[in-house]
Amino acid sequence: MWTRAAALFVAVLLVAAPSAAAPIEAQRGGTAVTAIGGDPETLNLGITTGYAVGAVAGSIFSGLVWVDARGDLKPDLAASWTVSPDGLTYTFELRRNVKWHDGRPFTAQDVKFTMEQVTGPFHGRFRTAFANFERIVASSPNTLTVTLKKPYAPFLRLLTVFDCPILPRHIYGSGEEIPRHPRNNDPVGTGPFKFREWVRGDRVVLERNPDYWNPVYLDRMVFRIIPSAALRVTALEVGEVDHIADFYLPKTDVDRLRKNPNIRVRLGQPIPSMGFIFINTRKPPLDNPKVRQALALAINRVQIVTQAMGSLARPARGPFGDGFKWAFSIDSDYNRLYPHSPERANALLDEAGLARGAGGERAVRLRIVYDAARAPLVAAAAIMRDNLRAVGITADLQPMDRAVMIDRVYTRPDYEITVQTFTSGGDPAIGYHRIYASAPPGTPFVNATGYSNPEVDRLLTQAAEVPSREARGKIYAQVSKTLAAEMPVLMLFDEIGVDAARTTLKGIWIGAEARDRWDAVWAQK
Amino acid sequence: MGREFARRFFRSRAGVLGLCLVALVIGVAIAAPALAPRDPHTTSLVTKGPPGTPGYPLGTDDLGRDILSGVLWGSRASLTVGVCAAATAVTLGIAIGATSGYYGGWIDALLGRVTELFQVIPRFVLALLVVALFGSGLWKLVLVIGILSWPQAARVVRGQFMALRGAAYVDAARVLGLRDARIIFSEILPNVVAPVVVIASLDVAAAILLEASLGFFGLGDPNLASWGMMLNNAQAHFRQAWWMSVFPGLAISITVLGFNLLGDGLNDAANPRLDA
Amino acid sequence: MTTGSAPLWRYAAGRLAQAVPLLLGVIVVNFLLVSAAPGDPVTTLLGEYPAPPEYVAQLRQEYGLDRPAPVRLALYAWNVARGQLGYSFAYRLPVARLVAERLGNTILLMATALSLAAVVGVTLGVIAARRPRSALDSASTGVALAGYSIPDFWLAQLLVLLFAVFLGWLPAQGIRSVRVEHTGLAAALDVARHLVLPAAALSFRYMALISRLTRASMLEVMGQDFILAARARGVPELSVLVSHGLRNAALPVVTVIGYNFAFVLAGSALVETVFGWPGVGRLLYDAILQRDTPVLLGILVMVSAAVVVVNLLTDLLYAALDPRVRY
Repeated sequence: MWTRAAALFVAVLLVAAPSAAAPIEAQRGGTAVTAIGGDPETLNLGITTGYAVGAVAGSIFSGLVWVDARGDLKPDLAASWTVSPDGLTYTFELRRNVKWHDGRPFTAQDVKFTMEQVTGPFHGRFRTAFANFERIVASSPNTLTVTLKKPYAPFLRLLTVFDCPILPRHIYGSGEEIPRHPRNNDPVGTGPFKFREWVRGDRVVLERNPDYWNPVYLDRMVFRIIPSAALRVTALEVGEVDHIADFYLPKTDVDRLRKNPNIRVRLGQPIPSMGFIFINTRKPPLDNPKVRQALALAINRVQIVTQAMGSLARPARGPFGDGFKWAFSIDSDYNRLYPHSPERANALLDEAGLARGAGGERAVRLRIVYDAARAPLVAAAAIMRDNLRAVGITADLQPMDRAVMIDRVYTRPDYEITVQTFTSGGDPAIGYHRIYASAPPGTPFVNATGYSNPEVDRLLTQAAEVPSREARGKIYAQVSKTLAAEMPVLMLFDEIGVDAARTTLKGIWIGAEARDRWDAVWAQK
Repeated sequence: MGREFARRFFRSRAGVLGLCLVALVIGVAIAAPALAPRDPHTTSLVTKGPPGTPGYPLGTDDLGRDILSGVLWGSRASLTVGVCAAATAVTLGIAIGATSGYYGGWIDALLGRVTELFQVIPRFVLALLVVALFGSGLWKLVLVIGILSWPQAARVVRGQFMALRGAAYVDAARVLGLRDARIIFSEILPNVVAPVVVIASLDVAAAILLEASLGFFGLGDPNLASWGMMLNNAQAHFRQAWWMSVFPGLAISITVLGFNLLGDGLNDAANPRLDA
Repeated sequence: MTTGSAPLWRYAAGRLAQAVPLLLGVIVVNFLLVSAAPGDPVTTLLGEYPAPPEYVAQLRQEYGLDRPAPVRLALYAWNVARGQLGYSFAYRLPVARLVAERLGNTILLMATALSLAAVVGVTLGVIAARRPRSALDSASTGVALAGYSIPDFWLAQLLVLLFAVFLGWLPAQGIRSVRVEHTGLAAALDVARHLVLPAAALSFRYMALISRLTRASMLEVMGQDFILAARARGVPELSVLVSHGLRNAALPVVTVIGYNFAFVLAGSALVETVFGWPGVGRLLYDAILQRDTPVLLGILVMVSAAVVVVNLLTDLLYAALDPRVRY
């Protein structure tokens, strides 16, 4: 199993490079069918980070930039940009002659409007950047200048279509409230595909935008709604579906897909994402760092990766994982600090005064809370219960529906351990800082452990402001050391993303996101 | 009556087979700790081992847990939920159906409304709703399934009572001055036993299936070994590891079949007209 | 029935009038269930990133969740009384429109499954009752028992595996092909192909139940004096079966279909989920998981109303078939 994990890891490195660039003999026409797990909750991508919305509306709207499969920024609606030396002023030269799907011209006013009225107030990720905006100036129809209050390293990464899709001012500026705007279900964008129809529970259909600035090959994109993960894969295998993106692809089926000559699989996660457990430091004996370290030693991360993730993850190596190589520090390497060792865990627990009783059990009962709908978390929780029993700790599994889980973990918070996964959003400052930064209870998807360390908060703020990766790496090394020792959060794994498609789809996956750049995709007849 | 009943029952091959299956499942449930080679929750590194893997006669699941032990231990959850929930349901159903059908009038109207309230919302949906919102657990499942399952028995009992309350021999009993309770229990209820027995056996079966359905939707109690949860888990691995799905599925089918056959046999035995 | 149609209509009208408090009961019970549950429906609408508090507040206000529960309940009941089922939290669309979009699909699936169940079930039951304890009886009883003992979701998976994956005869998913757009007859055939597996999976249990009850009541009826008399008179056996036996045996079939209407809908939630059939059952299941209270309540109210009507029809049909029952 270990060798298999290693082999996969090598495969990741090999396949991480983008697959064939748009080939010469690209054919026009045809339909690409993508499976998604549920209806999008809206088609206004500017107000949500929901995955299904991005899958569909990511091809209807455009961002200022896009991220390619290597993780590099590429121009989209912004043809080019310059950054002032102090890292505060960004000037964008916008692409000319771009038209909205209804024929109206696209201008810098649309961008300004979107940031100020839509994504700034309403988008879960972009609002972080927007809070740091000093001003936005649209000095000409094709020039936009954004001035920040403080430097913010990941700023440009928050301008993709998934973080700040540009919406038409002439439609959304009508004064109606954005979240319930009637056009949210009948969107007009500048993207490669136009919205055609949405049959709820069944499919969403987009059609080619003939006026797109790049050639678009496919006639139609169909998003087929298939709630059952196993049947999404079956649909791909029998050819009813052409493509399944990582989020909707069950990891445990990947092995079989890789053996299918009609299916191509892309391994690799250009946008790192991690699974971890929050340890509720408010609940004794978890207020004792020794007990938390004992959990880190007792829980078998390799077993979780192999069995719960189907080997499509790497055992976590530190508080920020190793997905961002420049932010990883060998000083806080879990492999060195916390290898799987029930013996050392037992010793630490004894030391912490939690002696074993007559039956070999310690007087600790932990509740492991997780979202019942997420198969890998269900499996990880079952493994952890077994791992903990081996060191005399009794754990109760508490699967919950999402709303109850959010209530128990983030609002109240009333749990001992909870399994969660967070995505980095392309930079640790965007997606990972919230795991550790001090946060009062009440907000979903931030630090729920009750752990609050002003020094950690200060370092994290600094790491977001410093522009150079080298300098940021040093700060992450410093903060990682503290976090690995105090262990409010035990990282379990770095996910390895997997996308799968029928081999008849060509030109696919030139973007980091499988949901991106469908203009380049064509169907072999 | 008792001896005659037993004689007729044991003449029915289906009934005897059903009794054997049910006895087998009950025996397995009682002896599970002794029979099972392992703790059903203990994981191992033998991931998705096929049947026949040394030490794992029925194979292992995605976390290396022993399928045989899971199937053996799972009989406890299924039987407990099935039998307790059905007992609750049938008791409630007889009481409500008999009262409703015998007295008719406003009592029937009122109980009819209550029955309908339970009946117009599919019980699977209500069970799903309650368990999804308030969490799972063995006795919670028994209570939810039991309380939601009585209308079927009630409706059948009520129908029979409605049809029989005007029958000549019941009128005769009434003319003779027999008390209502006497008429209900001695005169009419025996005639209702056959359909109720069928309903009761179906209810055990249905309760086991309902518990499995909830488990299949991931709403069982993961702290118990249960066939429904095993099937839920198998869903994602169905194609690579058929044994994860086949054995618990078979276990459910055999148990449900046992109760159905038993009900059939009891029905035949309780209904002498079938001898014609 | 013998007293003419006026009392029948009065009876039917009375039953429908009684349904009003019933529907109110459905609303109250389910509203209380959802309100009493832990968790905030708004949180399920937001992505995996912390949402701005202003946005959350705005959503809560938009959905009226900032008001106390009794006020929301009263408002909701009032709106339903005026024929308005409200707006979906998750889709931001009128509930009536969401349900209407899917109702046809569910009716198609249920009607196909129930017809299949009735035809096959009655046939099996009659065959079994014809010669009790014969090999044919054992075989048909065996099929019925298997059908009734096998969990339908498990059966659904086995069907997909066999017919869609291994044999490749039928589609595994959805209601129509998405790659090719069919029209006219081709479109109908396309839907029919997609209908086969879910309808089979959904009908199996009811087929089994109907055949068991048909057999039981046929046996009961066939042993009775008037059948024996008919046979003694030399009425042909087939005629005895159909005109005397089946007419009486139809009772349980009517009861099963009528009474199980609500259950079939629940079963269709399972089957719709497994087969990705875009029907009301799945909308309901999604609504539970997404805490989409207006959709949840709207569907339950509509289902309840439908069940009330179907139950009434069942009772009337029961009366028509069984002269012993009078209203």
